[in-house]
Amino acid sequence: MRPHWLVPLVLAALVLGTATRVAAADPPTLTVFAAADLAFALRDLAPRFEKAAGVKVALVLGSTGNLARQIEHGAPADVFFAANETFVDELVAKGAVIPQTRTLYAQGRIVLATPKAFGPRLAVLRQLTDPRVRRVAIANPQHAPYGKAAEEALRKLGLWDAVRPKLVYGENIRHTLQFLQTGAADAGIVALSVASVPEIDWVPIDPTLHAPLNQVVAVVRRSRRPELGVAFVQFVNGGEGRQVMKRYGFVLPGEF
Amino acid sequence: MDLFPVWLSLRVSLVATALTVVLGIPVAWFLARRRHVGKEMMAALVVSPLVLPPTVLGYYLLVLIGSRGPLGRLLGRLGIELAFTWRAAVLAACVGSLPLLIRAAQAGFESVDERLEQAARTLGRSESSVFWSVSLPLAWRSVVAGVVLAFCRAFGDFGITLMVAGNIPGRTQTLPLAIYDHVQANAMREANVLALLAVVAVIVLLVGVGRLVRVRY
Repeated sequence: MRPHWLVPLVLAALVLGTATRVAAADPPTLTVFAAADLAFALRDLAPRFEKAAGVKVALVLGSTGNLARQIEHGAPADVFFAANETFVDELVAKGAVIPQTRTLYAQGRIVLATPKAFGPRLAVLRQLTDPRVRRVAIANPQHAPYGKAAEEALRKLGLWDAVRPKLVYGENIRHTLQFLQTGAADAGIVALSVASVPEIDWVPIDPTLHAPLNQVVAVVRRSRRPELGVAFVQFVNGGEGRQVMKRYGFVLPGEF
Repeated sequence: MDLFPVWLSLRVSLVATALTVVLGIPVAWFLARRRHVGKEMMAALVVSPLVLPPTVLGYYLLVLIGSRGPLGRLLGRLGIELAFTWRAAVLAACVGSLPLLIRAAQAGFESVDERLEQAARTLGRSESSVFWSVSLPLAWRSVVAGVVLAFCRAFGDFGITLMVAGNIPGRTQTLPLAIYDHVQANAMREANVLALLAVVAVIVLLVGVGRLVRVRY
């Protein structure tokens, strides 16, 4: 009795069969690494740029910290939209992005959000101490810029210690939003740019309560088409791009 | 809906399973048969990747094979790019799968009665012949169980792949990553369809291969 040779043969056939597919699906593409708070805005902007520039845009969304680490280790990104300038500056220092392309593209805002299913719509942060609010979702302040801003705001109002036992941490801002959309949390602090979903109500939080969330973009040093990356940054910062960004709740350069 | 992640995942998990079998079975055999110093230590070391959170494991791998890593630089000099390609996804899947295959196969080889192997040797069989005609057939069920576990782990890997292969649509976005992205974007319909496809694909494949294998054993 010898092992059946048909098995490896079938496997090989399948592997080779799919190999050609993978090769065929490899057209010239602009790969954009972007912070999760840009999910909605860039999904809207990417097809417009594709049409205008005649390229394909591959959007990779994640937490700014994670994406920065991947770019540092050679990820094939062309452009990196960070939710926070410090990560881009770190990459500048490490030589992973082109310093001249470092551009401010927006300032982020945070909002106090309540799921519609929860009932009472919270109007001020102080209400988070209400015993009816059992779980409060924020992004992880250790590595997510919007989480850090949420913590700063709560500390500034002296609410941090009271609210802290109720906190649940999202991995990034989209994940945090999901806690609210599913009703798993009774309230939360998320980015204005992702807050306009049907399941939640929100009120803005005074931006002076936290350090400005300056959002910075840069073209990656290893990019094979840096000029395309620059073009995309110009597009986002241009007339059409600004309109879209504004619609998704970003405060734009020159309007702070 | 873009079905690229389905094909990519099938490809990655099949290649990874094949590699896992080729690398894992000799290790399992070695751990089961030889009595040597530090055997328990080695057996424990082999399963240690299971202890680390996958994303952390992925980060260590990235540090190793990324453009600044020692292995990455070496491969780069040879003109091979590993990190953030589908090959990195294969590597990620292998790292997750190997412990499962090795543990199961090792248990299988250990349960083989050594006297049967000795008997084959006294009848003049070479070591490789003993392995193919006595040990492997007797340990077959455990080995197959290990291969099935390895394949499923490879197919479903999320954390390691996310870190070393990225989540690049059309290039390294495997099925689990695509499902996660859809869930995050609150596109539950797409997520559900892909999740169902993942389960169906794996069932079809396992039942199909199971039939093939049972023809012989």
